[in-house]
Amino acid sequence: MKKVFASLSIVFATAFLVQSAPVTIELPIETALYKPAADADLANAQCLTCHSAEYVSSQPPLSRAFWKGSVEKMMTKYGAPVPADQIEALVNYLASNYGQGATNAPAASSPASDAPLATTGDAKLLMQKSGCFNCHTVDKKFLGPSFKEVAAKYKGIPDASAKVTRQITHGGSGLWGPFPMPPFKQFSEADVRILTAWILAQE
Amino acid sequence: MLSVALASLPATNLFSDDKVVLPFGNGERRLVKYPQKRPLILLTSRPPQLETPFSVFNEGAITPNDAFYVRYHLADIPLSIDPDAFRLEIKGLVDTPLRLSLADLKKFEPVEIVAVCQCSGNSRGFSQPRVAGGQLGHGAMGNARWRGVRLKDVLAKAGVKVNARQVTFNGLDRPVIEKTPDFIKSLDLDHAIDGEVMLAYEMNGEPLPMLNGFPLRLVVPGYFGTYWIKHLNEISVVDDVLNTFWMNPAYRIPDNDCGFIEPGSPPVKTTPIKRYNVRSFVTNFKDGDTIRSGEKTLIKGIAFDGGYGIREILVSINGGKAWRTARLKADLGNYSFREWEINSLPFPKGKHELKVRAINRIGETQPLDPLWNPAGYMRNVVETVRVQSI
Repeated sequence: MKKVFASLSIVFATAFLVQSAPVTIELPIETALYKPAADADLANAQCLTCHSAEYVSSQPPLSRAFWKGSVEKMMTKYGAPVPADQIEALVNYLASNYGQGATNAPAASSPASDAPLATTGDAKLLMQKSGCFNCHTVDKKFLGPSFKEVAAKYKGIPDASAKVTRQITHGGSGLWGPFPMPPFKQFSEADVRILTAWILAQE
Repeated sequence: MLSVALASLPATNLFSDDKVVLPFGNGERRLVKYPQKRPLILLTSRPPQLETPFSVFNEGAITPNDAFYVRYHLADIPLSIDPDAFRLEIKGLVDTPLRLSLADLKKFEPVEIVAVCQCSGNSRGFSQPRVAGGQLGHGAMGNARWRGVRLKDVLAKAGVKVNARQVTFNGLDRPVIEKTPDFIKSLDLDHAIDGEVMLAYEMNGEPLPMLNGFPLRLVVPGYFGTYWIKHLNEISVVDDVLNTFWMNPAYRIPDNDCGFIEPGSPPVKTTPIKRYNVRSFVTNFKDGDTIRSGEKTLIKGIAFDGGYGIREILVSINGGKAWRTARLKADLGNYSFREWEINSLPFPKGKHELKVRAINRIGETQPLDPLWNPAGYMRNVVETVRVQSI
């Protein structure tokens, strides 16, 4: 009898444990980025906040009017915070890389677009223009880590600056979660130094 | 035991060489394994959208849970849910607002139904002219045995007030940024309390896979998947017709008898998408297969409609010049895939077009030429499989 009770209580205990276990899944790491071409950084910064790149790359070749409408829809219906002065360039990027007449080969980048962003040396302004705040905030984890978390992670590490610089210019994936950070190649060396110093100073 | 086994499922390597090509332009896709799933066709990784490889539909009338397609709209999806802490809220125009645990829900009379869940945009990639949206092959559909409770019973317990007009449904998936409209859908009250609309906590005898709406999803038999809210945690009874983004302008079809318009023509007055039209597929042959000539050949497949049931299946092996009636297999209910098969006449040598056409119990059937609408919804043309006999 004792044995029966013992095994029954194991059954109940197991049943109890089973019921309380949360179901947890981990998604595969996301790897898709926008085609590396002139102004890809605009798409990486503005579009990756809410959805992965396949939303664009799997579309059939559609007209420039479609891509213009699509960017407008993202802004008006879904609230995408695309800065007004970047809309035209973003539409051009999408239309020329994924639209009618686009080839599978990435479009060559134009020298004009590789020119460093005009900067006043103000890190926050640079970040606003480049869409950094679409995924990061100063003190709360959003899609990416907060800048305070980044600063805390690298605090006291000798090559912190080099690591953060590389993360900005080369992007990364899997360090903080399943979302990829695209490479931001549009910054001048001076800009990257300003950004890196500002990020590491957030405490 | 299952919950323990499912807890903390590891992510798997995304770098897989397995690729498939869907038969339309820009149709290259990777097969990727997600938690609780076998490798499925990756449409998008965030939010996850996974398509069932079509060969799965040849395995039987029921789509296994690990092969069932996945479709989300918003990227902030729940990745960890404690079924004990989960609550379903019933609110709005009710006498007694409720907060129900899964255990509370399981006290209502359980019901089961076998029903197809099909994405509005299933087969969109075949639209001509091409249209924007999820570029899906035919794999954004699945058929499962759902177990749960009637929405009617749960709403009766809450007591619906006389001025109620619609019932709205929201799940735990959320937008990434605040300004994006949350994914909320509505049904007319009459529909919500028809006794068939169900709150399902099991799929094919197991808890729902996380990516299919664990621990509770709305099942709306015969209606497109857009209404089958996953991770359902909020039901509200309202006195108006919900007119927010995901009801209008999203998920609308031309407001006419068939839901289609002249290909390429501009949008017209629209209405919310509703019931499935009739569809059928050959499942044991695909484009490019070879068949031995001079022999009878078994051709089999599936068919379904919006809930009247399939009455007849016609099969042609010569591009639609002659049709023969196929044998219907087990009837799992009006909302289920209906399997069918036929022993074809011997194939002469050469190229052949296999076609299948279903007719439902109210005489609705499939068009021989594809119809079109701007969103690429509701494709139901008689499909063609091109084979060669040698």
